[in-house]
Amino acid sequence: GRAWGAWRGGRQRQGGAAAREPPRGLGETGLLEASVSEAKAGRTDLIFLIRFRHCCLLRNQRCLLAYLYDRLLRIRALRWEYGSILLPPTINMTFNTSFCKFLLVEWFNRYKKSLATYMRSVGGEEGLDLTQDIKPPKSLYIEVRCLRDHGEFEIDDGTTILLKKNSQHFLPRWKCEQLIRQGILEHVLS
Amino acid sequence: MFVSDCRREFYDVIVTQRVLLLVASDVDALCACKILQALFQCDHVQYTLVPVAGWQELETAFLEHKDQFKYFVLINCGANVDLLEILQPEEDTYFFVCDSHRPINVVNVYNDTQIKLLVKQEDDLDVPAYDDIFRDEEEEEEEEEDSENESGGSEPLEKRRRFEEEVIERTMKRRQRREWEARRREILFDYEQYEYHGTSSAMVMFDLAWIMSKDLNDMLWWAIVGLTDQWVQDKITQMKYVTDIGVLQRHVSRHNHRNEDEEHSLSIDCMRIAFEYDLRLALYQHWSLYESLCNTCYTSASLKLWSVQGQKRLQEFLADMGLPLKQVKQKFNSMDVSLKENLREMIEESANKFGMKDLRVQTFSIHFGFKNKFSASDIVYATTSLMENIEKEGPETTNFIKALDSLSRGNLDKLHQGLDLAKKQLRAIQQTVASCICTNLVISQGPFLYCSLMEGTPDVKLFSKPVSLCLLSKYLLKSFVCSTKNKRCKLLPLVMAAPMDVEQGTVIMVGIPPETESSDKKNFFGRAFEKAAESTSSRTLHNHFQMSIIELKTEDRSKFLDALISLLS
Repeated sequence: GRAWGAWRGGRQRQGGAAAREPPRGLGETGLLEASVSEAKAGRTDLIFLIRFRHCCLLRNQRCLLAYLYDRLLRIRALRWEYGSILLPPTINMTFNTSFCKFLLVEWFNRYKKSLATYMRSVGGEEGLDLTQDIKPPKSLYIEVRCLRDHGEFEIDDGTTILLKKNSQHFLPRWKCEQLIRQGILEHVLS
Repeated sequence: MFVSDCRREFYDVIVTQRVLLLVASDVDALCACKILQALFQCDHVQYTLVPVAGWQELETAFLEHKDQFKYFVLINCGANVDLLEILQPEEDTYFFVCDSHRPINVVNVYNDTQIKLLVKQEDDLDVPAYDDIFRDEEEEEEEEEDSENESGGSEPLEKRRRFEEEVIERTMKRRQRREWEARRREILFDYEQYEYHGTSSAMVMFDLAWIMSKDLNDMLWWAIVGLTDQWVQDKITQMKYVTDIGVLQRHVSRHNHRNEDEEHSLSIDCMRIAFEYDLRLALYQHWSLYESLCNTCYTSASLKLWSVQGQKRLQEFLADMGLPLKQVKQKFNSMDVSLKENLREMIEESANKFGMKDLRVQTFSIHFGFKNKFSASDIVYATTSLMENIEKEGPETTNFIKALDSLSRGNLDKLHQGLDLAKKQLRAIQQTVASCICTNLVISQGPFLYCSLMEGTPDVKLFSKPVSLCLLSKYLLKSFVCSTKNKRCKLLPLVMAAPMDVEQGTVIMVGIPPETESSDKKNFFGRAFEKAAESTSSRTLHNHFQMSIIELKTEDRSKFLDALISLLS
């Protein structure tokens, strides 16, 4: 949601780490055990302590959620960047619980499905691939240069092109976009 | 076969196809490539561009791509060998060859189906007639059979007489055949003996663009640079250069006449080309006048700047023009405006007094914006230096790509880098020439002059590249001719050798024609090198598209040279 907007950027990086530190000041006096029931039983002086502790817990929760959300957004960006891929296992290395890993992978797959359904519904019969032409295209065909050896590359109509380092090609834009994003081809502007 | 209508037989054929462009590594080829690329981009012709530096790369590229492409365009490569034999293509593969190398191989000329030559018909080609070199083999077999079948049943006396007649006929035919073959060998030898260059490929491509009314000022500039490259590398005669300049000048006035009218002139940022009767000093507008005078072959050779008297003569030359040393040694753009005003006429006048009658040359320059003014020869030097940059930044093709990019006006940083490299190259050439002449490294071997660069020579790595070595050789020969008193030596051609790869122990060798006023620039070293290599079974590599540039193993050098001397004596 909207509330998390403020947490983007630098702060959420510290979120996870900060949340793991114990709240300062409370550990010494052993007052962590102070319970709500005690406060209701008459010890009104503990109310402030409980509120303070509650705020700390809320803060930790916000940090962790912000961190998870940012992770989510980056994984979502992977779909737009690289297409309908399988998440590589290294994505989830920081998590120790398999539950979290499972959640993110599950979320990603559902997102892919949801995006695909939407794209199919939008463009009429064939659907519309929204991940293409993210910047408005200036021409139908573009000149690209191969930055490293990539071997043979097959285009939709069955023709193959040999991508060797420093060879230049003039191809329809949609055939190259994927490779440009992957850094194998470079758009040459003249 | 020659293509008579470039548009219909070449462009209209490939406009609907995917094409592979194989481009050689010289500035003329790069310019032709830029023009063709611009045309292809305009018409959405899908193409792939592969740079090739020699025959091996051409073959490799062809083998890699032959399954994917049916139409190949070769720029500045392929005309002077039997393409079909080397590449062994399928029947439905077509080659369009736009090459300035001559002589064109006869098989390429007379092949009707697969090889199309994009060559201007005005070039006098002197191709031998078909009947002089090709003979239907079936005809001969039929004749022999006929003569044998005629001996069918009749009287013995008649039979004997007929038999005798037949024998006489057969021997006569055999003798005719031997005579024909001898004449054929002679004709082919005369035709293929000398290598030279025809019209620049960039100009041919520009012509195509013009026929299709798709020519732009940018393409015209590339055509100009292509032609200037041929002039800088001394590949064409002075007359041809002047004729081609005339052709281009008509196009230049057509595209750029708006500037002459004050009211309707274009913005200063628009690109414009102007005809100039400019000084022949290399890079002088991007350097200091002094440096340019010292490092341009023409002035350096005429004033003999490698000697002490030469240096004094240079000072006298500058004094004669009234140019103070301090002014002349600073950057040209910072020179006093009053001195720059009539500079060309002043220099020409003084130059005449010092024996330099051709200090000015017809050429073109380009302007865009307030800061950017370049002469065509500036671009040629810059692009050549970029292409032969010895600082390895990856495979050889990276330099090609950088040089290709520098020809676009948007890549001024690359152009400036090229200009800096060119200054280094010109300085290195002049220093090497000076040391070769002062230490008498140029020796006469009889039929030719010979100079070999030793390994420890400064900047010798620069000369392991073919174009740089050719430039060095031409400058060296010009300077040598000015320095020597031996009348016979002045008319000799030059063979130059430089270490190419120290680890592999190879040497690069080039042969250039003699330096005379009315030289027709025809070079016989291509065939001579081939024959010498064969006769001594030296390990040579004739990889370069120009036959007069070869690589050979250092150990075989002396026997190769001996064979060459005996061959040419």
